[in-house]
Amino acid sequence: MSSLKAESLKDRAAIVGVGKTPQGKVPGSTQLSLATGAFTAALEDSGLDKSEIDGLLTFPGTTAPEGPLNYLRVAETLGIDPAYTGSMSMGGGTAGALVQMAAMAVANGMATNVACVFGDAAKTGGSRFNRASGWGDSWGIWGMMGAAANSAIAASRHMALYGTTSEQLGEVAVACRRHASLNPDAVMRKPITIEDHQASRWIVEPLHLLDCCLISDGGVCVIVTSAERARARDLKQPPVFISGMGQAYTSRTLERPDWWYVPHQKDALDRAYAMAGVGPSDIDVAQLYDNFTISVLLWLEHAGFCGVGEAGPYVEGGRIQLGGDLPVNTAGGNLSESYMEGWLHIVEGVRQLRGDGGERQVDGAEVCLVTGRGMTLNCSNAMILSKDGLK
Amino acid sequence: MSTYDKPLPELTEDNRPFWDGLRERSTLTMQKCDACGHIRYPIGRICPECLAPGGTWTGLSGRGEVLSRIVFHQVYNKAFADDVPYNVVLVQLDEGPRMFSNVVGVPNEDVRVGMRVRLHCDPVTAEVTIPRFVPEEP
Ligand SMILES: [Zn+2]
Repeated sequence: MSSLKAESLKDRAAIVGVGKTPQGKVPGSTQLSLATGAFTAALEDSGLDKSEIDGLLTFPGTTAPEGPLNYLRVAETLGIDPAYTGSMSMGGGTAGALVQMAAMAVANGMATNVACVFGDAAKTGGSRFNRASGWGDSWGIWGMMGAAANSAIAASRHMALYGTTSEQLGEVAVACRRHASLNPDAVMRKPITIEDHQASRWIVEPLHLLDCCLISDGGVCVIVTSAERARARDLKQPPVFISGMGQAYTSRTLERPDWWYVPHQKDALDRAYAMAGVGPSDIDVAQLYDNFTISVLLWLEHAGFCGVGEAGPYVEGGRIQLGGDLPVNTAGGNLSESYMEGWLHIVEGVRQLRGDGGERQVDGAEVCLVTGRGMTLNCSNAMILSKDGLK
Repeated sequence: MSTYDKPLPELTEDNRPFWDGLRERSTLTMQKCDACGHIRYPIGRICPECLAPGGTWTGLSGRGEVLSRIVFHQVYNKAFADDVPYNVVLVQLDEGPRMFSNVVGVPNEDVRVGMRVRLHCDPVTAEVTIPRFVPEEP
């Protein structure tokens, strides 16, 4: 891992507003209507005036017809002439990457209040997640296609090397669903058991249906401002500080023998821990990117909650459920709340640190780990969010 | 063979030697860097290790080991509707590169991580022979 010295960004930015649209199937919605709906909700949450938003970073999702020009379309629709803007597409790695860009911008005076905006009409507008990967010759030649395939490759190898079982993957699904049952806004709220998980049909073996996230319509927005401003001003919500940030990328897929294990995730986490000056024992609650159940196991290992190959036994016995050692994905995650490509993980991290978790609140939560990962197991990031900033 | 409706490679000047090797010689052929010896895959114009351009197309043994094995039950492309459940494997080739493929000729349950495999050429059109694998020892 390259040694980076980004400690000067610790606690220099804060999240002061979060917003989301209805999730699931939202008839008549478009990428743009969902993105702007989420912006409006986040602005309302923050108490800021639209005229104060001078930064706009967007993720076009899979259904914005203008693609990478999405920032222009969203800004025009919202009537904003930003000082700082752009769009980025890293799949599930985008949310964290954009919020980190926003934090860098406000910490360095390039903008004052940056809105990070996502919308996707993936359910209504037609899922675009089923293409085959591979540069040059498409992996579709061998029938290697669809979003579950890469995670299934990871799960199969993890099982073969470490003895991880499908039931252990099921523990992740059960935990997320239990948490979603306590979240009135979640799409899937009916509790499930390990037996339900085992009885659900295969999608791509070794992944069952209940190992998979829910393609959904929805929008999410996160507003970031500088820590100085967040502290100096009487804002509507208590600010949540961005104490640690880290990113890392395994751009090589087949050229890297351990690509399936997403080894770069550990680098992203170590960078975030180093900036914040914390380690796994300091984390009160975690929002770990869960496009498929296996992803949570890999995050737990890379984040140091357990050793390499030990995440299967680690998640047994409800350890990642509310009341367990490490509550994970307390709103239900991509698996049961809604597949918002990890954007709602940031929202839930903020809610937990504001103490707004309702029935699913982790008592006394002060430090939250949030992770994201996207593309063909390539793009990862981690953030340490804290209630008061970290000394 | 005239009705093959599954995805096919788009033959280009960059990848033609790979596909010609399979069709004409039943051999996996990949680019070996003239500067550092790295055999690269996917196909590319420069070596990802040392950035040297070009390289020499080199025949491989076609032997390797299954690193991971998955079985598709969901139909993502209707051309595969009659094939499910079918396996996809990540193969570690003996000479170093890795590739996706299918193990054919045995039930999916018998395809296991760690098993040795060898190349099996599957001509699906006049131009394209798809590299698949069979167990090394029957
Ligand atoms: Zn080279």
